[in-house]
Amino acid sequence: MKSHKVWLIQFGELKTFFRRLFIFILFFTAFLTISLSRVDSLIVSAVDKVVIDMTGPVMQVIESPARALHHIYTYFYDISHIYTENRQLRAENKQMMILQNKVRTLEVENQLLSRLLNYVPPPSAKYMSAQIIAESGDNFTHLLLVYIGDKPIRKGQVVMSNESVIGRVDSVGKHFAKIILITDINSKIPVLIERTRTRGILSGNNTAFPELIFTRTNEHIQIGDIVVTSGVGGLFPAGLPVGFVQKVNEDGSVIVDPLADTSRLEYVRIVDYGITPEDEFVADFAEKEDAQ
Amino acid sequence: MRNKWSEQIFAFWQCRIPLIATLLLVLLFFMPINSVQLNYFRPSMGIICVYYWRLNRPALFGWFSAFCVGFVIDVYSSTPLGTNILLLLALESVTDWPAHYLRTSSFSVRWLIFGLVSLSVLLGKWLFLTLYYWRLLPPAEIMLGYFSTVMFYPLIATINVQIAQRFLPPENIDEQ
Repeated sequence: MKSHKVWLIQFGELKTFFRRLFIFILFFTAFLTISLSRVDSLIVSAVDKVVIDMTGPVMQVIESPARALHHIYTYFYDISHIYTENRQLRAENKQMMILQNKVRTLEVENQLLSRLLNYVPPPSAKYMSAQIIAESGDNFTHLLLVYIGDKPIRKGQVVMSNESVIGRVDSVGKHFAKIILITDINSKIPVLIERTRTRGILSGNNTAFPELIFTRTNEHIQIGDIVVTSGVGGLFPAGLPVGFVQKVNEDGSVIVDPLADTSRLEYVRIVDYGITPEDEFVADFAEKEDAQ
Repeated sequence: MRNKWSEQIFAFWQCRIPLIATLLLVLLFFMPINSVQLNYFRPSMGIICVYYWRLNRPALFGWFSAFCVGFVIDVYSSTPLGTNILLLLALESVTDWPAHYLRTSSFSVRWLIFGLVSLSVLLGKWLFLTLYYWRLLPPAEIMLGYFSTVMFYPLIATINVQIAQRFLPPENIDEQ
């Protein structure tokens, strides 16, 4: 009877020991993965891809009823605004017709001048559409998860809405890809102010308004100036619209308002400029950006 | 014999319902809401669910479950892998010792304690990520997330109560 009691106590102690060991292992694994994500992003991105591909279909199923509801809401919203929208579109159409004539003339002029200078035009872009199925669920990151199917998407490609740059491809799984938005704290894009040609880096800060850094304070940047990609680094082609200057602070920092209206974004366009991952410079830039 | 096997498989999955339900809720709150402003009001579903199950059915929602939930949140939110795992494990350990007391207390007390616990967890995460990126993360947006997390607690607790009543085994056979 006594030996039975001793055996029970020993078993209980052993159980507690293993329980504590298990908890220690879990904490240790958490610390280890944090260190790994800091040092070696290859393992982390591989894990990322596996989990995203496994849970992506579940996310699609969860999201589909909400999407249907959103479509119904948009349908009725559009119907209620059809008259005002029609008037706006007619006015816009008139302006577009004038602009179209101007563009035609400029295009001919451009072609003639290009021939004179033996100018080689940059490669034309291919656009691939991808459906958004998830958004970052907290205030610590700004990213999207999109369904890409079997499209040949690569890390680092530019992602645009209908009108402007919204981010870049962060990681690619079999059928899903993660897009890091320009507002995310990890996003840094080389840009320039279109009017003054002032170069800088558009740095995300986890708010809706990213900041323009590494610009000279004595440049005459004004509110409303258009910000476009500068093409420095080779990852983003030059001249893509990003946003406009919303505020110039006294300390010289410039706040940018992104042009893209993400509130009605259901699909994104992933742009392929034929920049291959074999391009060492581009790969280096992407790695450096990740490290930052 | 076949009956025993199917019963065992059923019991196994029944005990995983809190984890599965939590993962589904976490994924649900990653759904696109097409609004920049509303995005800041996303509640931290992981914190709510881990706290709820830790207090109410600790035997069915252990340390490994918290680990799994943290892992999925890390992958989906692209925070450094391990951050949410660490925070949810810390939440498990913080709620471990007052769990017995809180189980018998009223809902408002549990809610109040949740407010304090979630604040400390979110501030911990904010501090950790600020140090990790070596850049100050905007605290205002994080506070909006905190308030929505606290506000969502009663709703998620009600959903979890329904799940527990309809699908989970009685508490006395949890340990099996």
